[in-house]
Amino acid sequence: MEVALEDNNLMEKVLPPDEQEIDVELEAKEKKYLRGEGANLESLKDKKLKTQLASREKLYGKSAKAAAKIEKWLLPASAGYLETEGLEKTWRIKQTDIAKEVDLLSSRNQYDIVLPDFGPYKLDFTASGRHMLAGGRKGHLALVDMMNMNLIKEIHVRETVRDVAFLHNDQFFAAAQKKYSYIYARDGTELHCLKERGPVARLRFLKNHFLLASVNKIGQLHYQDVTYGDMVASIRTGKGRTDVMEVNPYNGVVALGHSGGTVTMWKPTSQAPLVQMQCHPGPVSAVAFHPNGHLMATSGKERKVKIWDLRKFEEVQTIHGFHAKTLSFSQKGLLAAGTGSFVQVLGDSSGGGHSRYMSHPMVKGYQVEKVMFRPYEDVLGIGHSMGWSSVLIPGSGEPNFDSWVANPFETSKQRREKEVHLLLDKLPPETIMLDPSKIGAMRPSRRKEKPTRGEIEAEKEVAIEAAKSVEMKKKTKGRNKPSKRTKKKKELVENAKKTFPELEEKNIAGKKRRIGEDAAAELPTSLKRFARKN
Amino acid sequence: MGGLKRKSSSSAKALAKSKKKKGPHLPNSILKVIANQKRPLNSDEEDDDDVIGSDDEHGGDLYEYEEGVPEEESRKNNRYDRHENYDYELPEDFEDENVESEDDDDGGNTDNDEAEGDDDDDDDRHTRMLQSLTGMPSAAFEGESKSKPVLFTEAYPEGEFNPTRDVLEGKNVLTEEDFLAPLEGTPGYQKTSKQIARMRKDTKHVVHAPLPKPQRERLERKAVIGLVDEEFSKWVHLVKKNREAPTVYFNQDVDLGYSTVGAIASEFQPRTEFEKKMASVLNDSEVSEAHRDDGARLLELNEVSMEDHIKDHNHIAKMRSLLFRHEFKSKRIKKIKSKTYHRLKNKDLKNSSLGALMDPEMAKEEAMRQEAKRVEERMTLKHRNTGKWAKRMISRGLNVKYDGPKAAIAEQLQMNANLSRKMNSMRDGSSSDESDDEEEFNDGSDEDTPSRLIAKAKEKTLKALEDDEVPNAGLMSLPFMARAMKKKNEEANEEAKRALEEYEEWENSGGENSKKSVTVSGRRVFGATAKVEAPKESRKDSDNFYDDSDSDNDMARIEDNNIEPVRDNASPARNTITETEFDDDVAGNPASKTTFDVAMFASGSWKKMTGSKNTESKKASKKTRAPIPQAQDKKGPRDEESGDSESEAEQMVDGVLTSTSKETFEVPSQAELINRAFAGDDVLDEFEKDKEEVLNQEVPKPEKPVLVPGWGDWTNIQKKRGISKQMVQKHDAEKKEWEQGLKTRKDARLKHVIISEKVDKKAEKLHTTTLPFPFTSKEVFEHSMRMPIGPEFNPSTIVGELNRPEVVKKTGVIIKPVKFEEVNPNDEVDDEHPRNHQKQRPKKKTSRRQGKVKSK
Repeated sequence: MEVALEDNNLMEKVLPPDEQEIDVELEAKEKKYLRGEGANLESLKDKKLKTQLASREKLYGKSAKAAAKIEKWLLPASAGYLETEGLEKTWRIKQTDIAKEVDLLSSRNQYDIVLPDFGPYKLDFTASGRHMLAGGRKGHLALVDMMNMNLIKEIHVRETVRDVAFLHNDQFFAAAQKKYSYIYARDGTELHCLKERGPVARLRFLKNHFLLASVNKIGQLHYQDVTYGDMVASIRTGKGRTDVMEVNPYNGVVALGHSGGTVTMWKPTSQAPLVQMQCHPGPVSAVAFHPNGHLMATSGKERKVKIWDLRKFEEVQTIHGFHAKTLSFSQKGLLAAGTGSFVQVLGDSSGGGHSRYMSHPMVKGYQVEKVMFRPYEDVLGIGHSMGWSSVLIPGSGEPNFDSWVANPFETSKQRREKEVHLLLDKLPPETIMLDPSKIGAMRPSRRKEKPTRGEIEAEKEVAIEAAKSVEMKKKTKGRNKPSKRTKKKKELVENAKKTFPELEEKNIAGKKRRIGEDAAAELPTSLKRFARKN
Repeated sequence: MGGLKRKSSSSAKALAKSKKKKGPHLPNSILKVIANQKRPLNSDEEDDDDVIGSDDEHGGDLYEYEEGVPEEESRKNNRYDRHENYDYELPEDFEDENVESEDDDDGGNTDNDEAEGDDDDDDDRHTRMLQSLTGMPSAAFEGESKSKPVLFTEAYPEGEFNPTRDVLEGKNVLTEEDFLAPLEGTPGYQKTSKQIARMRKDTKHVVHAPLPKPQRERLERKAVIGLVDEEFSKWVHLVKKNREAPTVYFNQDVDLGYSTVGAIASEFQPRTEFEKKMASVLNDSEVSEAHRDDGARLLELNEVSMEDHIKDHNHIAKMRSLLFRHEFKSKRIKKIKSKTYHRLKNKDLKNSSLGALMDPEMAKEEAMRQEAKRVEERMTLKHRNTGKWAKRMISRGLNVKYDGPKAAIAEQLQMNANLSRKMNSMRDGSSSDESDDEEEFNDGSDEDTPSRLIAKAKEKTLKALEDDEVPNAGLMSLPFMARAMKKKNEEANEEAKRALEEYEEWENSGGENSKKSVTVSGRRVFGATAKVEAPKESRKDSDNFYDDSDSDNDMARIEDNNIEPVRDNASPARNTITETEFDDDVAGNPASKTTFDVAMFASGSWKKMTGSKNTESKKASKKTRAPIPQAQDKKGPRDEESGDSESEAEQMVDGVLTSTSKETFEVPSQAELINRAFAGDDVLDEFEKDKEEVLNQEVPKPEKPVLVPGWGDWTNIQKKRGISKQMVQKHDAEKKEWEQGLKTRKDARLKHVIISEKVDKKAEKLHTTTLPFPFTSKEVFEHSMRMPIGPEFNPSTIVGELNRPEVVKKTGVIIKPVKFEEVNPNDEVDDEHPRNHQKQRPKKKTSRRQGKVKSK
């Protein structure tokens, strides 16, 4: 009977399978929002603090639960995917096949724009993915609204353009030109000429810090605050010329790839690199960061792509057989690599490392210059020698956008509001560090700290003990008297003591003297001669 | 007890007596007797102490004449004035401390008993002695010894506070029986006697002597502590709850007085006369009733007196008349116009075309002026972008870049077109030479005889060159104007000369080139023609990305080979699609999104590219061969890279070029290539060296102790000994520390990584130096800090709770001391519904009281 009862109870407790599934799903999400585990409160002695922390922890749990539920029920759009049957392989599916299956709106995102005259194109998207900036090597700058495929502005600077980058929104963009880099407004007006940086090879904008980072032809790294125009830092990397530069979106650390196969990471407040990694035996051709900041992909010219875990600085995976001129991670963690006229997309579907997901051969002779996933869309933008192309990569973009973070449907009023908020939330440059979650924590202890009194005393005791337990040699008749031996031992102990200077007495003496001096100093001059002299 | 009292009184008396001991003169024999009595004859040495001690005891037994109290002091009949007795006397209720303890008491009692026993013995012997001496029977002495008649003359009248000697000695003390005796036989006697008997038995009601003070207080404290503990332990849970509550609320209902406008208005009292009047009207019941009904009666109530009406009427009439007069006046003023007005008006009329139409002469003049302007324009070409500014704009390409200059230049051109256009309207009038010329020119162009045209143009320019006269009078004669004119003329001349040269050229070449140059400019649309050619060349090649074999994984290669045919089929299909798309675009809508009108520069650059294509391909083929010899060089790859980035034009068509030139040489295997390319590059070694350097900087290696010349090497022995032990020991310790430092580094186990551990001083302010107060462990603190609590990171339902302050209180609320309320210790801190919680408080209190009552 008892067993039966228990069984009954069990039956009651067991939820229907789909609900169970939901629970599991919710739990996983909750864990994500809890951001790690709480401290072990058992070790605390302070009861008040203990209960307060416990209640706090409870609130956190509640918050995480609510957030998980919101994510579950209020973010209805699901990520795209590509599923194959039987012997079919996802990487054999062509864009033409995809075009047949997807809806009209998505199929509009498959196109090639052929502009053969102005050389390989660099691309950049705004954070919301609404606007794209294309910079032709030979001076063609085009700002395109990707939503309605409207060319907003097109200018010709009539000199080499090496890189382009949006600033905090679509209103401003920077272009690295032949001699200087410039900042343009949305309507093509030249706003600033940034002469201090010299001929810039790569430009990147750090959104949270409002810093425009650039590396120039002689390997100098510059950080300029675009809010008030000050050069925050100019660092000589000392590793020679490079045109591989990427920003870690998680912490704002800038990574440079060098010809010696090293990848260095920098922050504006230090002249030395935070991290140097020997990633490849040959020159590094491209670097990319996963949006969560934990993964880094590098490509070497020796035809290997490596994926690194940045928490441990260890290699996670090596992909043999191709080198990439350009690499890019999508919001969902797909990795696109472009070489020659071929684009390869790697996916981490099973969790066992990145493997081939899709591929896209361009027209022969098109040289891919830059690949970049469009945020919040399943679209990969490819800048190449003959213009730019856009292909569909299902499952690459985040399906749900947060309008407080990046809103593709932003009105001008919202944009203005956002701009002010962004400026108010601007982070100072010193907040760039490898682990930004350490901000507000205890200061890491310095290497050399003065030993505490207790430690000194313990050491002293140990030394004295050691001196006492020293075995005396047996010496000749006259010298081996017990009196002499004890004397010797005493001496040893005294010597051991001597090595630890007696701090207290000194301090007291110092204090005494100070007191006397003070008294003398406080007295009026006429009475000073009566002050007692020590 | 009686004994005690006696003793105390006797001691008091002894004190008092020590001064008054002045008895009458006694005969020596008696004194002797007394002495004998004091010291019994047969008393032993051992008894000495006792005897002396008993001196006081027996002192009271002496028959002693006491001097009478002076009459003043006795206060007999109050015959004398009151006289203060300054002698110190212990108060009557004085109690000796020793007496109070029970133990003492008992001890005292036993002592007394013993003493009495001794006394009895003594007395026996004494009487026997007296018997033997006097020969009288012992009975005669017995009474004397037993009952010691003492004469007391009291200083004070007997009373409650001054008991008699009997009372003090314990003799003749009144007992209950004494009181009861007279009552014997009365009806209530039995009862009372029983009661008294019971009382005697009842030990409870015996009042014991109070305990000594410290003991008493200790006991008291003990009792109190228990009580207080009990009382306070009731509060523990409440206090604990308050201490542990994340938020304490003090915003209990606060009476703010008025809450609505209506409440304030209801208090209003009319004070001034006006207010009273208003109030009387407003509160008029009739009016309000009329309002309530249908408003018809309101009119009736709104009666205006005749006087008022007339007054009103007059006022309005006056205002109207004023207004009318003012209007009238202004009308008249408006009509009056000044002389200048009329003059200008006439002039305008004359100048207008209307006037010209009326007056043929005027019309002619006008036409002449227009014509002159046109001639001038044609001559000087002032508006044909020949100005300094326009030239500058065009030369710098600013007219394309910016809208302002563009518009200005367009306007000038328009003006030029207007002025130099052939005027049809003038043809019928007095036909001038120019118009004729125009016509001829027009005809010429129609007939397409370029040589004649050119000749004419030449002629005209020559003419223009010749007649550059300077006017002698008027504005143009001013020096600066003349200078300007001269300059302009010179420019015009130059242009004319250039034109002449051109004409001559054309005459020579037959005017064919001109046509071409015309066709070059204009819009250009990029279609498929230019684009398709380039890729087609490379299509056949198997220059595939995956085709190149890699020594690292053969499996991948096999896979790739399998895929190959599929892809080869695929790529052309895709290509054709895109091509056809673009063809369609070009055919259908030339201005569609995919086309860009970048004509001005596009044409030039494209031409340049196509022109240089052949030469470049040669160059490139050279270049592709180059890497092989370069590979032996150490800096091979770097050079190549730099070359790549520098030759931008080449890079663009790189793909095409490599594909064409590939046939010329064999591709070495990938591994071979890599080996060659990185043959001399000891990158890893270099990195290791770098790491060592960085480590040395951050964790400096201790220096080896060295013998400094001149220090400790004076003699050979010293040299032989080598470096002193101390130095070596010190070095060892340092080395150990250094090794430890290296081990604790993050990159100690990572060979390929250098992690800088330099302290960033600027970032130090972002960390705390000490743990904030209640925290004692770093780990707990950091864990508690891990969750952000801002509205950006949490659902809005929780944000309020997460950020609630420790104390919630409205300003001005008086915080009262904590009131007792029952709290269940097992209840957990619940912060969910603060408002409910707050409301529940008073309820809880009442329930608590009830509970308390019940428990009692």
